[in-house]
Amino acid sequence: MSETPTSELTEVEVKSRLLDMKSLDNPKAMKLYRRFDGIIILVLFMFLILGIQIHFTLTAGDWDYWIDWRDRRWWPLVAPFSLLLFIGPFAYGFWARVRLPIAATVITLLLCAVSWLSRYLNFYEFTHFPMSFVFPSTYIGLGILLDCALLITRSLLASALIGGGLFGALVWPLNWSFMAASKVPVELNGTLLSVADLMGYQYIRTTTPEYLRIIEESTLRTFGGSVTPLTAVFSALCGMVIYGIFLWVGSRINRLDIYTKRIV
Amino acid sequence: MKKLKMKKVGVSSLLAGLVLVLLAGDVLAHGERAQLASMRMRTVHWFDTKVEPLNVKVGDVVTVTGKLVTSEWWPQQLASIEDTVYLNIGVPGPTFLRLHSEVNGVPMMRSTAFPLGKVYEYKTVMRARIAGRYHVHPILNVKDSGSLVDKGTWLEVAESDSTAPFTNEVTTLLGDTIDLETYGLGAVYTWHLIWLAIGLAYILYWLLRKELFIPRFLRIRHLGQDRANEIITKKDFVAGGLFFTLTLATILGGYLWAENKYPITIPLQTGKVEVTPIEVPTGDLEVVVDSASYALAGRSLSMRLKVTNHGDSPLRISEFLTANIRFLNPKVTESEIYPGEEMVAKEGLTVSVNVIEPGKTVEVELVASDALWEQYRMTGMINDPDSRFAGLVFYYDDNGERFYQEVGGSILPTFF
Repeated sequence: MSETPTSELTEVEVKSRLLDMKSLDNPKAMKLYRRFDGIIILVLFMFLILGIQIHFTLTAGDWDYWIDWRDRRWWPLVAPFSLLLFIGPFAYGFWARVRLPIAATVITLLLCAVSWLSRYLNFYEFTHFPMSFVFPSTYIGLGILLDCALLITRSLLASALIGGGLFGALVWPLNWSFMAASKVPVELNGTLLSVADLMGYQYIRTTTPEYLRIIEESTLRTFGGSVTPLTAVFSALCGMVIYGIFLWVGSRINRLDIYTKRIV
Repeated sequence: MKKLKMKKVGVSSLLAGLVLVLLAGDVLAHGERAQLASMRMRTVHWFDTKVEPLNVKVGDVVTVTGKLVTSEWWPQQLASIEDTVYLNIGVPGPTFLRLHSEVNGVPMMRSTAFPLGKVYEYKTVMRARIAGRYHVHPILNVKDSGSLVDKGTWLEVAESDSTAPFTNEVTTLLGDTIDLETYGLGAVYTWHLIWLAIGLAYILYWLLRKELFIPRFLRIRHLGQDRANEIITKKDFVAGGLFFTLTLATILGGYLWAENKYPITIPLQTGKVEVTPIEVPTGDLEVVVDSASYALAGRSLSMRLKVTNHGDSPLRISEFLTANIRFLNPKVTESEIYPGEEMVAKEGLTVSVNVIEPGKTVEVELVASDALWEQYRMTGMINDPDSRFAGLVFYYDDNGERFYQEVGGSILPTFF
């Protein structure tokens, strides 16, 4: 974060900052600050809820819409990749400006809320898909881990390594608690299917044919059937890198305030 | 004055919007007319499409059957059906449950590939799920080309006599009978609520405090980045540790709970299946297109054909099928029109030679003419990047047996 060293401040600026600090002991000023905080919360709420919904829909949409898209290899990579690149800049801003380690939790929480709203209204009420086929995934636990890693280590770099890694690695176990049921085997016309595959076949999607799904397409074939742990390790590595890169992007964005000051 | 004007504009816009919303009708079709004319003429020829029955109740079974021929005149600029194709059904979302689908007897849960110039028989069995009036189309989703849609058939689905909610029960390989309409939702709701509660608790821990954004910003600016961490208290640190531990424990707990509840699970299944084309009797007529033209003003397609009858039975041309439109020769009465069938020009085909005698080669002029050309936007042929056409010519022998041959070639527009 760019910050003018105290030694470079003018006398007026130093006095102004001291007055700002004194205002924190003034109940009237604090009341005003709380009102401003309320406005900030409202603006952030609107911006983040719309932002994450549009961003996640564009980058990971179908993976989160349908349970027959959430495979062991691509979904645990695509989802954290998409989320971390959105969270990174906000996490940096919240930490650098106000030392609030809440960006990841807020964003994943809002994504979960807006996803439920969308699935219920658009998918269930409007287009008649059963909720058992279109329920959203959850990433709230990953958001908390990312924020807490920052809070405990008080270091953005360490949080990228620990939090970013956990964010990537734990997508599958976090969601397995309510997704396992959809992977129970069934049979149709002599073909083995999971319940999710069967639902994808039975609940007709005219423009989402079966071949659009990307199921376990990759070259990670070593270690036999250990697809899930292998993907978790790879996703953890990706999480660290992506989160690190987008924290850096956040730091660049935060430096833009020098241009504001110049204009003023 | 300016404010009043703005107000008037605002109110008028609002009213106009309201009128538009009220006037808007239901979306009832799948936009098949919007596809390029050449795409409809030269990709897949659908025929003998039957939807039975046409009036059902929720819970009843509907069967869609028919045949299709993959065109040998497939446009070069379009990804081929020889790579990946999926038999689908065009209904408004899951208003029906697809129970079974097959092509040439092979179940079609998965994608396949169709060589060009072959004939396939398809069948889709569905169970009505939501009451309404639907335009049902067989569809082939072709990878990188999009959906190729057959003509639609209207289907009425009335409410079920039973007041019980719709169920979709299946038995898993573990022996449990489950209702897919609601399967697993208890765990979904419970775990989502748990995570929402933990997430909200964490956020509220930070938001419900005396000093939030502006006071913290002022303090950090006063302290400088080197000392900014001082505003994180020991209590915050402990809370962070507790939330971290609680979250990890809940993830692990949820995972183990699910592993215990569903010990046998499999990954998502995928793959392609192979379908062998069926053999159909080849007729004795050899048809060669000499020339073809399309009259923009006359809504008709004319073909000059050289036709040879290699058999020993007289043959009669009964029908020309292209872009799902059937042009029937009224002089040949064997052609069947199925209940609810659309896009049929009953007297749309004129054939200059009615009977092609055995061993003879004759020049025949075929004129397919009807307002359906306009209605189904076939006039757009003039805008196609590759002005060629294709279609099926159906003919009958003396025994009433039907044969077909695909014809195609360049087509020239005539403007006057």
